Amino acid sequence: MSIDIRLPTALRIFADKQEKISVDAKTVGDALEQLFSGHERLRQQLMSPEGKLRSFVNVYVNDDDARDKQGLATEVKDGDTILIVPAIAGGSAVSELELTTAEKARYHRHLIMPEVGAEGQRKLKNASVLCVGAGGLGSPLALYLAAAGVGRIGIVDFDTVDESNLQRQIIHDTASVGTSKLKSAEKRLKGLNPNISVELHETKLSSANAVELFKRYDVIADGTDNFATRYLVNDACVLTGKPNAYGSIFRFEGQLSVFGLKDGPCYRCLYPEPPPPGLVPNCAEAGVLGVLPGVIGTMQAVETLKLILGIGRPLSGRLMLYDALEQSWRTLKVKKNPACPVCSENPTIKAPIDYEAFCGLKEKPTVTIPEISVQDLKAMLDKKDKFVLLDVREPHEYEIAKIEGSTLIPLGALPERFGELDKGAALIVHCKMGGRSARAVQFLREKGFNATNVAGGINAWSESIDPSVPQY
Amino acid sequence: MSLKTNRAVEAIAVQTCEKAFPEEGCGLLLGPIPDNFDTPGRTLQVDEARPLPNGWDASAKTNRYLIDPKILAQVEAELSGTGRGVVGFFHSHPQVPAWPSPFDLTMAMPCCSYWIIQIRDGKSVDSRSWQRTEDGRSFIEEEIVLEG
Repeated sequence: MSIDIRLPTALRIFADKQEKISVDAKTVGDALEQLFSGHERLRQQLMSPEGKLRSFVNVYVNDDDARDKQGLATEVKDGDTILIVPAIAGGSAVSELELTTAEKARYHRHLIMPEVGAEGQRKLKNASVLCVGAGGLGSPLALYLAAAGVGRIGIVDFDTVDESNLQRQIIHDTASVGTSKLKSAEKRLKGLNPNISVELHETKLSSANAVELFKRYDVIADGTDNFATRYLVNDACVLTGKPNAYGSIFRFEGQLSVFGLKDGPCYRCLYPEPPPPGLVPNCAEAGVLGVLPGVIGTMQAVETLKLILGIGRPLSGRLMLYDALEQSWRTLKVKKNPACPVCSENPTIKAPIDYEAFCGLKEKPTVTIPEISVQDLKAMLDKKDKFVLLDVREPHEYEIAKIEGSTLIPLGALPERFGELDKGAALIVHCKMGGRSARAVQFLREKGFNATNVAGGINAWSESIDPSVPQY
Repeated sequence: MSLKTNRAVEAIAVQTCEKAFPEEGCGLLLGPIPDNFDTPGRTLQVDEARPLPNGWDASAKTNRYLIDPKILAQVEAELSGTGRGVVGFFHSHPQVPAWPSPFDLTMAMPCCSYWIIQIRDGKSVDSRSWQRTEDGRSFIEEEIVLEG
């Protein structure tokens, strides 16, 4: 009873590279047993320790699947062929991965510390972090996470690289100005560490997409620059149970904490309500020391790595305040708010809300203010119309760029100094982008002045009228 | 440890997977059977990518693929005695990273290369090749070397 057993390419190596082996058997089970008795490694590959065929093994007798007959008891006769055919299947999802030899060399300085070691490095490789923003904080954060071997780094941003970003956003470079921040960051991260996977989400993080996005990551690192997104990141982290390695920066000061850990507070426990709109200027208005996001973003990376590795004491329940001018750190305790609308036991917020409305950004000004374009302003200047061009920016901004013939009174000084202005004159008011000057116009009109706002401010002037005026 | 192939082969694998989007695309990798096929660190030469239909039932083709064993047996028979064989498989992960899944591991054959192509919104964005470890507990990544 000569039966041929044919092996697939992948298994021949375990049978002295033979493609076909002849045995003498009455059943499929007999035939396989004879095959294995001569080739034990083949048995290990094909049979489970319990003596059953492994899930990927199909056995055919001539053209028929043995499972459709009597399985291993299927009878065979002289001249039959038994085919062992692997079931080739698979699909997406992510699994635990081992370190390659090259990775072991790359991460040597981690591997020799018992607190990290091979086990910790494997955790990093199998971990995923979502960086919200590829800006000042996101730059050092993503770079250090990539260097440390965090296997999947997601970035969500929808901006392009602007020259004014390069004073601090070190993940981008001069050649990338005008291109997508995500593409620029990806190139740099993959260049630093090709072993990692970079996932780009070129979209504005919103109440509609945050929860689904956060679900796919282990840790969320908040590097946003505005309150609406900060509350959204906080709430979506709490709702999905993801820790939030939080950082923020302003001029010479930074804040750092970890929110959303079990039993730990969230951002709302610290700040239940956002500040009134316009009270706290953003970095584009108030400026920021270029290296400051380097300090804070790097600390966010430290906290993120600690969370993944499960080592040390996470910065939960503590808010660290950094002052670059004093070169000092202060640590404040943050308690979990038992009545927190999102992270308490009885939350009132069970899905992301409208954060623009929450932060008061949708409130219309109570009175509409008259406004002209920079083209209108140019025409008025050319015609030598009689008016006062009032600049309400700060003196240091005035030094960077100004429109000739303007009078400078910073917005903050206006309540004290408006008396210097001529009530009978037409006032045309501008700032950098049109926001502060709108508030100045509103104030001046309440005081009885004939004031008009310049839409888009000096940036629009530079863009459309006089490119020799620098944008900043 | 590496998978050596050429741009024409890569193009066929990538196009198959891009065309299959949002479903998973799949196929065979053919080439000479190396003498040290089971040695960790072996180099594999792939000279042909042969696209095959995704045989998984329609309900889960976006995150599963299946190669019909009958077709696989036919190809093995066709290559019988030539020194070439089915040395690996390619498939795509629509949207998600090109890293093997637990299900990929359960079904993985020893020795072979598993080339996974990540397709995002219909376009290939990442491509990685993997080999099952000897103990079958995990995958280890191998370099894809493109020649010509």
